[in-house]
Amino acid sequence: MPELNVMQEAQSAPTPDAGFEPAIVAFVCNWCTYTAADLAGTARMVQSPNVRLIRMMCTGMVDPKYIIKALLDGADAVLISGCHPGDCHYINGNYKARRRVKLLAEILPRFGIDKRRLKLTWVGASEGNEFAATVNRFAAEIKDLGPIDTRRLRVR
Amino acid sequence: MKKQYGALVVGAGIGGMRSALDLAETGQKVALIDARPSMGGILTQLDHQFPSDHCGMCKMLPLTQRDQSSQYCLRKGFFHKNIDIYLHTELTALEGDPGKFHATLSRRSTFVDPTRCVSCGLCAEVCPVRVPNEFNAGLGQRTAAYLPVPHNIANHYVVDLDNCLRCWRCFEACPTQAIDFKFKEREDFHVLVVSADEELTRTLPEWLKKENFPLHFTTSGEDGLALLSEGLDVKLLLLDLDLHAAEAERTLRRALELRPGLAIVLLAGPDKQDAAAELLKLGARETLAKPLERATAVPRLDKLFMRLVSDEALDLEVGAVILAAGFECFNPAEVPCGSADLLLYGQHPGVLTSLEFERLLSSTGPSAGSLVRPGDGKPLRRIAWLQCVGSRDVKLKADFCSSICCMISIKEAMLAKRHTRGEAEATIFYMDMRTSGRDYQRYRDEAETGAGVRFVPARPHSILPGPEGDLLIQYYDYSGELKEEIFDALVLAVGARPPKSMARLALAAGVDLNESGFCATRPLAPNRTSRLGVFAAGAFGEPADIRGSLIQAGAAAMGASRMMRVYHGPRDETPEAEPKYTDVSREAPRVLMALCTSCPTLERNVDTALLRSRMAVLPGVVRVADVPRACTREGWELLRQEAEAVKPNRVLIGACMPYMHVPRLRDLGEALSLNPALMDVVDIHTATFAGAGAEKTVRTEETASLLGMAAAKLLGADPSPQAQATPVAPQALVVGGGLAGMTAAMGIADQGYKVVLVEELEQLGGLAMNLRATLEGDDPVRFMEDLIEQVEKNPNIRVLKDSRVVLSRGRAGRFLTVVATGEGVAHSLHHGATILATGGHETKVYEYGNRVHKCVLTQMELEQRLADGSVDAARLGGVAMIQCWRSRDESRNYCSRVCCQSALKNLLLLKKRNPGLPVFVFYRDIMSTGFSERFYTEARRTGAVFIRYTPENRPKVTFVDDKPVIVALDPVLGAEIEVHPDLLALSSGVEPNDVSELAELFGVGLTPDGFYQEAENKWRPVDFLKHGVFACGLGLAPATMREAILSAKAAAQRAVRILSEKSLSCGNAVAEVRHSLCSRCGRCITVCPYGARSLDLARDSITVDEQLCQGCGSCMAVCPNSATVLRGFRDEQVMAMIDAAVARPPHGTQGAEPNPQSAPAQPAHMGG
Repeated sequence: MPELNVMQEAQSAPTPDAGFEPAIVAFVCNWCTYTAADLAGTARMVQSPNVRLIRMMCTGMVDPKYIIKALLDGADAVLISGCHPGDCHYINGNYKARRRVKLLAEILPRFGIDKRRLKLTWVGASEGNEFAATVNRFAAEIKDLGPIDTRRLRVR
Repeated sequence: MKKQYGALVVGAGIGGMRSALDLAETGQKVALIDARPSMGGILTQLDHQFPSDHCGMCKMLPLTQRDQSSQYCLRKGFFHKNIDIYLHTELTALEGDPGKFHATLSRRSTFVDPTRCVSCGLCAEVCPVRVPNEFNAGLGQRTAAYLPVPHNIANHYVVDLDNCLRCWRCFEACPTQAIDFKFKEREDFHVLVVSADEELTRTLPEWLKKENFPLHFTTSGEDGLALLSEGLDVKLLLLDLDLHAAEAERTLRRALELRPGLAIVLLAGPDKQDAAAELLKLGARETLAKPLERATAVPRLDKLFMRLVSDEALDLEVGAVILAAGFECFNPAEVPCGSADLLLYGQHPGVLTSLEFERLLSSTGPSAGSLVRPGDGKPLRRIAWLQCVGSRDVKLKADFCSSICCMISIKEAMLAKRHTRGEAEATIFYMDMRTSGRDYQRYRDEAETGAGVRFVPARPHSILPGPEGDLLIQYYDYSGELKEEIFDALVLAVGARPPKSMARLALAAGVDLNESGFCATRPLAPNRTSRLGVFAAGAFGEPADIRGSLIQAGAAAMGASRMMRVYHGPRDETPEAEPKYTDVSREAPRVLMALCTSCPTLERNVDTALLRSRMAVLPGVVRVADVPRACTREGWELLRQEAEAVKPNRVLIGACMPYMHVPRLRDLGEALSLNPALMDVVDIHTATFAGAGAEKTVRTEETASLLGMAAAKLLGADPSPQAQATPVAPQALVVGGGLAGMTAAMGIADQGYKVVLVEELEQLGGLAMNLRATLEGDDPVRFMEDLIEQVEKNPNIRVLKDSRVVLSRGRAGRFLTVVATGEGVAHSLHHGATILATGGHETKVYEYGNRVHKCVLTQMELEQRLADGSVDAARLGGVAMIQCWRSRDESRNYCSRVCCQSALKNLLLLKKRNPGLPVFVFYRDIMSTGFSERFYTEARRTGAVFIRYTPENRPKVTFVDDKPVIVALDPVLGAEIEVHPDLLALSSGVEPNDVSELAELFGVGLTPDGFYQEAENKWRPVDFLKHGVFACGLGLAPATMREAILSAKAAAQRAVRILSEKSLSCGNAVAEVRHSLCSRCGRCITVCPYGARSLDLARDSITVDEQLCQGCGSCMAVCPNSATVLRGFRDEQVMAMIDAAVARPPHGTQGAEPNPQSAPAQPAHMGG
């Protein structure tokens, strides 16, 4: 089995430069957060241009392999956002997501990825302002964190 | 030709939406109207609902044929193929008979062209008007050009003409000329002024110069009429009442003869008011006070012009009408007798209505969700709720219970606790805590013991301003001690009131109102109004919570649907052909990309030439076309032409507001015979709006990236045709032949479908056969006899008595059930839908001397003995009643709904027969919800004594000489009392029949108390999670006869929804299994929340029931082999989207190296 480079990111993180524009991939659920994002958009709220939304039917279908792929292929961070606990259109999909993200966040540092680069939030369908705020806050956090360096994580 | 609809639904709140959906899903065309400019009714303002403290409204959306309706948050609006929505529209007249009503609607213009408005908000920025914001319940202000609801989909600004100053600033500010102030029409708006007033003749042309109306002046009525008869196209007549009274009247009459409907405005001085009132009755439109003032008269005339040229009248032909105009919250400030003063409402910023408090909790509210006092911004930590403000108040003509406020207050208290992480102290002052639903008592217990909400059974007598802006509340507590407490805020639990427009609507629809102003319905025909063919849905007939409203709405839909059948309404009986789509699975992808480039913001912020060239080189894209104004019909026509030329097998549209376009994709799909699942709409406009200072290149990149992602997804879409639809067996099975079962069977049979009714006993009727009277004075015995006769004579109903269900297999549309009869015959039935109406029984009582002493009866026994005369009220010396006998207490912790009503019914009958009879009622909370409150008031007036007890301090019963002796603590006296009645009646409540076997046979759940567990307490009250099986009556929840009938009718309509289809097809997003990859580990079976997956042992494969599958994709995430696939979200698609999302622009500085292993050609193309 090929070895993974498991250096801690903190040691080699490049200093954040002012021109750094992070690429953030957001997996959002169709019922709550995607509609909230749509609302934030149609309500013309100021949003960071760094976030790309991928609409999923439910956060419960976000396979960890999507998250890992995004991080390995150049996303500086991944946001997962769904309905509030108890609000899931599909009864309990968001709980499944919560379990999965928690486990994944524990594993990520072992591969040299700061776990702050993975975030799970709940944003309800009418909370357009909340969505814009979440996205902007997260983008700012990732700007401070600097770009992800996944090239050295590649299988050699 | 008039537009024809199966039904007209008035009111687009949840009640109206449920009714409309219930009818639309059976293929009826429905017109849904609302007087407001937005959908959703009061629920748009409420973010959380009890008892889940969450929303979940989207669960109400259709589960089969999902692609015919919207698939997003329902609070933000919806669409359905068969529903036409008219907002800002009222019903003005309803003529004709059931099956062929002629409805006249008046649609008020919003003066904003929705096809032009881009919701930029510039109009609101410049508007100088400030009026209270209705959406935030009056907290905060809005402008006259405003968004009615901030979170609607297809959200356009509207101009509130009533509050508009006519300054025209919004018109000047609008970048897309969406605000239409009718400049062209002004030139043709001839105004005739009949006045001898020279001053007026001189000043008016000067004043109205900007308005640009052609003015014509005459000094006498004769001359004016001459102008009219010459053919001058006068649109408005200003008639000065300083003319002779007779001349004015003659002019008016003659003018209206010449031009029926001509708008006439009277110019009347203070001395002419009486004459003006007379002429208004004759048809004049309004009055302007003389002498005219420029500042008021000119805007009024301008507004009148705007209304006259903009508002439209619509004529519809409809088969049936459903009224669902909902309710309004009581406003303490509007009551003249000073209750606002006593409550300090409007005077103290800490006194709020429950609706205002709800807005404070909302993230879209005035404080953006932080719980602070309006005014001084103090965080709210000590909050009190005061129940029954505007309800249960005879002085306010509200001798009814609003039924919802108790639960709303508990919810708000829980939310306040959650919001402040338990810091807030919540106190509820109440008279009776009416937790009368099946699950609501547990909710209250959770609030009380779990969350620490304090419940105080007291009515504060004084509410005074306290120190530091707080409130001082004085009350006498349970033990009679005077208490004073300080609170940060007092929330008034305001009751329900009929909507303000009720009188007008009732007149237009021709229905009667009850004494409380709600729509009059009869207790045993609760979905019907006084007019045949007109039904009441939602909370229109009686205040109700969401669950009640939806059940009522379903029942109304059933009534309307049946009416359309019976009277052969305008419904086209030939079913619409399912669209046929070409199989493109063997073709290489050909993507047509259409970009809507008409909006100025896009041109300004995006390099469209670069965007186009970038898009053209994406894989599979055969053409990038410009489609100006994709939001209009012309735009779509252009798109269709373009598509017909290019013959694409994928279509990607870049426009604004994707949700708006989804319904149009279906039309386009039909035109191109291309499955809409192979089309997508991307919002490319939002990115161009957001944020100041963002560079054009950044915005162009973002837009290109969004389009690239969508293109990647489309490219990977599975083009193979969908699975075959399930054919439907057009027959229903109803289990249980009681009131609910028979009502449901009739509801289905009357609509032309076969029903098999299975009853365990040897005769029909069930529990309701034991009743002898109802609280409202109906005759239940005759009602039940009639119903049984109708059921037995109905040719569509086959009754199997003395029979039981022994086996059931299958799924919605196709069940196979075996029923065994008493004679040992087994019938196997194919049916498309199942209704479980197995009912309940009176709880057996063995305590308090029942079954031991003859003087102890249950309420039902007392009712029967009063009816047959074996209990003679005249010979009794006293009667005691004990309520909540082992109800509302573990293990039966629910309110039985019927006991308080039965007790009141028996009490009133006893008192009627023997007015001097002493009656004592020991109770915890009297649950006389809704209009039954009237009987509680009446009972107290008869002199009956009501004594409250607590679960800790129950009345003690002993027997002396075979007579009961009751010892209890009287909280009013503060002492123990002893009662020696001749008769003791126990309210033992109801229990569901034991159906554990049946529930297992049909694969449905039960609550801890043994009632059926519906799919969702609020939003799907008669459905099971297992599709195609429905529940109603007493087996579902404790219910009065009225409620049992309603739930039965609602369930019947849900069943008809399935039976009306020839076959059932699923939605586009549905899971499939790749059997070659599947290892049969079974993880997907356990993870599926809908039980849609199973292991087929015969074939050794996992099967998916595509009816049950709702497309959540849980199975896909859990599958270790990627053997399960969700259509539209295949791994390949998601992976390609991720690649497109992280792809960097061609000359990017931090370009990530494309990974040769995982990235397909996509990023390279994106990168140019």
